[in-house]
Amino acid sequence: MVYITSWDDFAERSIQLFRADPESTRYVMKYRHCDGKLVLKVTDNRECLKFKSDQAQDAKKMEKLNNIFFTLMARGPEVDTSEVAGKEQMEQPAKKGRGRKQ
Amino acid sequence: MVLLQLDPFLSELTSMFERSTEKGSVWVTLKRSTLKSKVKRNKMKTAGEAIEYRCLVRATDGKKTISTSVGAKDHQRFQASYATILKAHMTALKKRERKDKRKGAEADKKQKGPKKISSATKASV
Repeated sequence: MVYITSWDDFAERSIQLFRADPESTRYVMKYRHCDGKLVLKVTDNRECLKFKSDQAQDAKKMEKLNNIFFTLMARGPEVDTSEVAGKEQMEQPAKKGRGRKQ
Repeated sequence: MVLLQLDPFLSELTSMFERSTEKGSVWVTLKRSTLKSKVKRNKMKTAGEAIEYRCLVRATDGKKTISTSVGAKDHQRFQASYATILKAHMTALKKRERKDKRKGAEADKKQKGPKKISSATKASV
């Protein structure tokens, strides 16, 4: 499987893939700390899209894609995601306290 | 595979990240799912019941697998906490030079500090 080099290309195609078949598409994130590598994969078992990076700035872009996928998967593939990407930054501080993680 | 509540899942994910710093990887999978068997789904479909989808989140470090499911109500809270965890643990990724100011400044200190007054700063610290 060849890695997609352009982030925008990857993000757009992975969302398309999910919308085409929401029930069998999964989104996998792999993080390897010792090598400082991040690999993202979106597949519906027929087509596989992968993206690889070692840049911190790509982790930020990934955060937006995470939010898009959370929204699409939890709320449904019809939901408009255009407002999701920008929203998460404001949501964060307010919701943090309730997490009770550490 | 253990299906956890949101908060236990997040804290277990945190310790997974902490355990895999020396070696190993962490995988996190998101999938849209009903959490019901195919038979049950088909029954519900024929009965005309509405099928509720949730976002199934699975995480593994290769040894242990944990999972949780996120519904429409709590996905925003979950994704915010999840993003915070990722940000806190994905520290091995390379930073672009002075791309963002806060992190850029930190890196500058580390690089330039020892050059200027190398022995003096070390001694004082």
